[in-house]
Order: sequence, then structure tokens, then C-alpha cells
Amino acid sequence: MARPKSIRAPTTASLPSNLRIPSSTPSLVKSFGKLTRQALLDLAFQWLDDRNIQAFPPYLQENEDQKEEDDEGLSPYPAERTVNDVRNAYQELQLRKGGKREVIDRILEGDWRHGITLRQLAMVDLRYIDDHSSSLRWTALELARISSQPPPDSDLSACVPRVHASTFLNSLQQQIAPLVKAHYYLSRSTSLPLTFLRIFVTNSPYQHPRQAAEILTDSSRVIYVAFPDSCPYLYTSIASSPGSKASASATPHAVATDPRSLQRLVRDALPKALSLPHQRYTLKATSLTAKSLQALLSLRGPGRSNQSNGAFSIFADAALEGSPLDPRPSNTVTPEEHMNHPSHHKENQPTDSEPPKAPKRPLTTTDPHTSKKRSLTVQSRFGTSGSLSSAPLDRLDIRLLDPPHTTTSTPEPTTSKPTISLTFTGTDIISGFRKLADLNIIDAKKMPSWMTGEEAVSVAVVRGGTRVVKDIG
Amino acid sequence: MDPDDLDSEISAIRAEIRTLHHRRRVLASSILSSRPLQRLSKTHSLPPPPNQSHRQQEWTDISPLIQSSASHAQTNHHRIAFSTTTFPFTDPSPNAESQNLLGIRIDICGREGRYTKPYYVLLRRVNQNKSGDGKKEVKVHRHTIPSVVDIGRLERIYLPLESTTQNTAEDVEAEEQLKPWKRKSRKQDLKTFVREVRKQLVVWHLRCDAVRYLRETLGVVTRGVDDDAMYEDDERPWERDILGPSANVDGAGETRIAKNKLGIVSLGPTALEAVYVRMEWEDGRVGRFKISNTGVVERAVVIGDAGRDKLTEGIITGGDGRVETLLERLGHVAGDV
Repeated sequence: MARPKSIRAPTTASLPSNLRIPSSTPSLVKSFGKLTRQALLDLAFQWLDDRNIQAFPPYLQENEDQKEEDDEGLSPYPAERTVNDVRNAYQELQLRKGGKREVIDRILEGDWRHGITLRQLAMVDLRYIDDHSSSLRWTALELARISSQPPPDSDLSACVPRVHASTFLNSLQQQIAPLVKAHYYLSRSTSLPLTFLRIFVTNSPYQHPRQAAEILTDSSRVIYVAFPDSCPYLYTSIASSPGSKASASATPHAVATDPRSLQRLVRDALPKALSLPHQRYTLKATSLTAKSLQALLSLRGPGRSNQSNGAFSIFADAALEGSPLDPRPSNTVTPEEHMNHPSHHKENQPTDSEPPKAPKRPLTTTDPHTSKKRSLTVQSRFGTSGSLSSAPLDRLDIRLLDPPHTTTSTPEPTTSKPTISLTFTGTDIISGFRKLADLNIIDAKKMPSWMTGEEAVSVAVVRGGTRVVKDIG
Repeated sequence: MDPDDLDSEISAIRAEIRTLHHRRRVLASSILSSRPLQRLSKTHSLPPPPNQSHRQQEWTDISPLIQSSASHAQTNHHRIAFSTTTFPFTDPSPNAESQNLLGIRIDICGREGRYTKPYYVLLRRVNQNKSGDGKKEVKVHRHTIPSVVDIGRLERIYLPLESTTQNTAEDVEAEEQLKPWKRKSRKQDLKTFVREVRKQLVVWHLRCDAVRYLRETLGVVTRGVDDDAMYEDDERPWERDILGPSANVDGAGETRIAKNKLGIVSLGPTALEAVYVRMEWEDGRVGRFKISNTGVVERAVVIGDAGRDKLTEGIITGGDGRVETLLERLGHVAGDV
């Protein structure tokens, strides 16, 4: 590990991006191994790009000359002479077919044998999230103004806090710094309208901690925050595994470093860092947790579908009626057609997206037992959710406050109030309900609205078929 | 012949058939709702002369079609003329407090005569409170307004509920002391609410259109689409086009500004709401300006290596101040120098 000769003193600065983790750390292989060969090569090219080469210098022969004694002859990857040679080596790997292991070995034992920086590790992690958008569980939180009275002259459209990335990071650092030492990495998602913030936290107050390198790669110390574009929400990752026992026992201050309290610290600091004078924010829970970032974006995102799901998704997708310039009566046009090209619909504009003989109703299966009436009911209850548009929820927790047998509702209060908790898990629960309703296993007419996804939550308390919202300020 | 070629030819022909089908339907509906045909159908709906009973039969056959397209055309005329229309909607939920909802549809016409997806607000009647004075209060039940417009705040201002005001009586008092003109508006004002929601949406669309217009005037190169050899030497990074048609779909909407005489290398909104626009010049100067609700450049800051560039700032906010003429103003000055 590159460690400067300067005096080690506790500081409140953040962990430097160029802090190197020894390449021999076994867990590095694990975190690199999550990526595909192509993703690894892409990252290597990114590091070797002219703009980034200063931040991620590879190990070259000149470095070798400075070393006094080394068993260099044994290394399978002799150090290259120039950066261009390193680039060529990766170009070669790009052309050749092979496993990802050789790329990992080349990176860890060859060109970056002097250590992987924290920034490189952060890039690896974020690349993985980008490629696998359902790899973490995300919780949506709402940013709400604390003061209920906005200044009278403020224009009504200014509802989203404007963030300047480095200013925000600075103030976040100020909030967290006295308590924990962190490394921040901010990156834009390549596939979704999101900005990821990766925060890695340690408990050492020193700039160059003398801890085991394993701690620097401990994934339970990493917190992800995703900021969707232009909407007052943010998503945080929940620590997937409780803090590894080994690291907790090795550090004396286990209280401050256990992932749960670290996450709380960061979560508390986020709204403060986003606040401005006379414009204070707080985070409110929105009872939505899901694995799919796509689901979060459609249920708590910048788009139209935040407040219209289930039966009302026909409005969010504008699947009901077309633009006022469309001469065709609305009932003769299929919902798919309305959805596919309404935003840029021009009269007489040729469209390719129209299916040749689109079925009148998308869910009328060829099954002769499916009556037309039932499919109409299913359609009116679910709208387009679960079929044409989907926000896959992987878990739905429902607590029913009604007594199990509601045949006689007794108004007098009883001492024991039995409640039923239901938990549904799966890949896409709402479309599962829809399929069940299609098969007549669920009566679509009598089904409460939380089953159609109308409430857009993953945790709900239900009384009498409607969601009970606890009013907390 | 290669089967792949045949396949692609077949799919091309299918696509063309689809296009023609679509066109035929549009044209047929247009003819059905056309004025002469509608007039004819009106005259034929009168009792027929006895010798033309055969033709009368034909008219009654197609008259439902004519009627439905007439009513559709009328609805469309209303939507175009008034932009905000209402409709009834029944909540299908069996547990809903009030099944009858009032739907409000807002149609907004963008640049180039295109209509955006209609925006909807569904209102529900609030249960009569204990006093039972029969007040008709409504509450936003569901809506499709994007979060660029803070509908919750508009609802708090224009559709306050009697029942909730008691909870925050202190707030109300404090607010009344601060803003005595607000005292009267504690009653629900649905008209102003809808007007304000529509205004915010229109203003947002106008801002987006203005920024799109500026970008198109400069010339936009989309990654992968028009990636010509002439841009090969261009080392500038690609930027995500926030307002592009595929902005929220995937990463395909990466664009950059084509080379231009003004030396502007990037111009784009900082966020989806398009209030602030960021500009960047070849010489490293960075600028930002704010578009007001009326389409005027309100404020502008340009910073270069040597500090603030007050001259350019003055040009951006000067003249008639309109956003649309911003490039003309900049070009005018550049031409003089």
C-alpha cells in the first residue's frame, strides 16, 4: 500500500480516491469476478483513457527500476514499457476469446499490481449495478420541505431541490465527517435516468488507515444512494448482509461501524446536505421497497405514473384516448396503439409500430373458457399495469386489520384484535395477481385495490380494503 | 436468393401494409367526420321521399359510424379549443369511499403542432364532515402530473379541506398574519386550481420547447444515428439529452451539439424542469441562465478562466430578452467582432 511518510493525524477529510488496496487482497478477485469479461475490458480501457490515466496509472517498467529487490522473473505479466503497450495488451485480450479470469489476473497481477484504488473499486461496483439493475434492494424515500409555508414569492414549479454534485458532496462530507470516514464516488447510470452515489465508510479517523485491506473491500460498509432525475425522491440500498463478524470483532468501535448505524448516519445526513438556508428538507418513508430500479422509477420517479397505478394506469399510459388530432374514435383504437406513438403523433404520419391485426383486448387469451366479461373486468381493475406496462414488485407485505370473519362487524371494541399479515414474493407480484384474476382464481370485481397495484407500495396496512396511512407530520 | 433477404423483404412489405392500413383508417375516419358528409347525413335523417327507400337503407347502415365519428370530432374540437375538459369516471375499486370521480383532462399542444400525452387529474368528493353543512369539497385522488409540477402544493393552496385546516390552525393563523390576502382563499377554488395546474404544465412545455429549439438551431448530433465521418475527429464527450424523445428509455439518447460559428459546445437544461440551462463554449467558458415563466431570460452567469464574462451575460439577458432569440443575439455580436 502506498503510504506517505507524513505524520498520521486524525482528520475530517474524506478517504482519498487514490488510496490503494493491495492487489493481493483475495476479496478483490471476488468483486472483480462479478463482472463479465467485456465489462472488465471496458473498465480497463476507461482507466487507460487519456483523460483518466493520471488517476489510474498502470504499473510500468520505470516503476520497476526504482525497486531494489524483487522476484520479478516469476511474474507471468512483465511490466510494460509505456501506457500504449498496456492499451495494446488489452486490445489483444479484446480480440481474443477467453474467460474473464485472465483479464482479472492481468489487472490484479499485471498492470495494477501496485494496488487497486478505492475509485477503481467503486467503478467496478457501480458497473455491476448498471449491468444488474436488480442486484440490490432499494428503498424509496421522499424529500419533503420541512416548513409548511413556502415563501410567497417562490414560483410554484420549483419543487425539486437543485443539486450541484460537488457542493452536495462537500456538505454531505461535512455532515458525516466527524462521525465516520468515508469515500464518495458519484456516477451517472448508463441505462437509467439515475445518478448513483456510492459511499464507503470506515471507522478510522486517519487518512491512510492501517487496517486490514479486507475492510476496504467489505461490501457491507458500502451504501448506495440513487438520485432519480428531477423528482423529490431518492433511493437507498439496504445493507444486504449484516456486518461480517470478523471485521466487527477486529475493530474496537463496533458500535459506529455496524452497517445499520452507518446507514442511519448517512441517511440522516442526506437531507441536511441537500438543504439550503430557508429551504430545509427531511426524508419521509414512502413504503416502497423493491429490487427493480425500473419499478422504483415508475412508482416514485419523475414520470406520470407516480400517482396513477392499477385501474388508473390507463391514464398514466394514456392508453384510453389519443391526441385531439386523431380522427379515429377512441374505442376503435387499441391501447397499444395509443401508448406507442401518442406523444409524437401527427396526423397522417406513417407508423411502423402498429401491429398488423392487433387484438382488440391484449389479455383475451385464446382459452375458450375465459369469458369476455371477465377479461373486461380484469382490464378495468388492472388497467395496463401487469401487462403493457409493468413495475415489478418482488415483495408485498400486507397487514389486514380486519378480523378474519367480517360477516358480522361488531362495533364494540374487543381486547384482542387479531390481524393477518400477508407476504407475497415473486418476480412481479402485480402481474401475478392479474394472471390469477384472468384464470378466475381471484374474483376481479371484489378484489381490493391494493391487489391491483393501485397503491404503489410494497408495505401496507389495510382496513376494510383500503390502505390506512399513518399520518406522521 | 438468400432466405435472409426474403425475410427482410417480407417484413418490409408487412410494415408497409401496416402503414397503409393505418393510413386508410385515418382517412376513413376523416371522411366520416368531414363536414359535407355530416351535412348529408343530417339531411337524410329526415323522413325520406318514398322513391329512395333503397338509399335510405344504406344511410341507416352507416349512420352509427357517422354519429360516433361526429361525436368524436366534437370532443376533439372541445379538447383543442378549451385544452381542459372534464369527464366522469367510475372507480372500479369495491372499497372506494366515493366511486364517482371527476376527471380532468389537459391537452397541451407543443411545438410543430404535436400534442403531448394528455394529462389527467381525477378528483373525488370528500366525505361530508360532521357539521353536515353540505359543502362540496373535492380532493385529488389520482393524477398523472409529473413531479416537475408540485401538484400537492397547488392542492394545499387552492383546494384546502375544512377538516384538515383545524389540525393546523396555528399555521393558518400565522399564515394569515403574514399574508392577509390569502384569508379569503381558504375556500376551495377548483377553477383556479385547474388553471394553475394547466399553466404550470404549459409553461414547462414551453421552456422545454424553447431549449429544444435552441439546440436544433445549433444542430444536434445523435450518437450512433448520424455518426458521420466528419465528426470522427470530434473528441468531445457525448452528453445525455434530457429532453430527447428516448431520454427515459435507455442510454440511447446521447447527443452533442454540432460545430457552430458561435463556438458553443454544449447547451442543455440542468434538469427535466428546464428552468436552468447550461452552456459551454469552446474556449472553456461556462454559462448558465434561467428561463422565466414568460419565456424571458431572467438571469445569466458566464464564467471563463479570467472570471465573469459580463459582456456575454449582458448579451444573453439583453435585447428583448426572449429565449428564442438568444442565438441571434449572440450571433449578431459575434458577427460584429
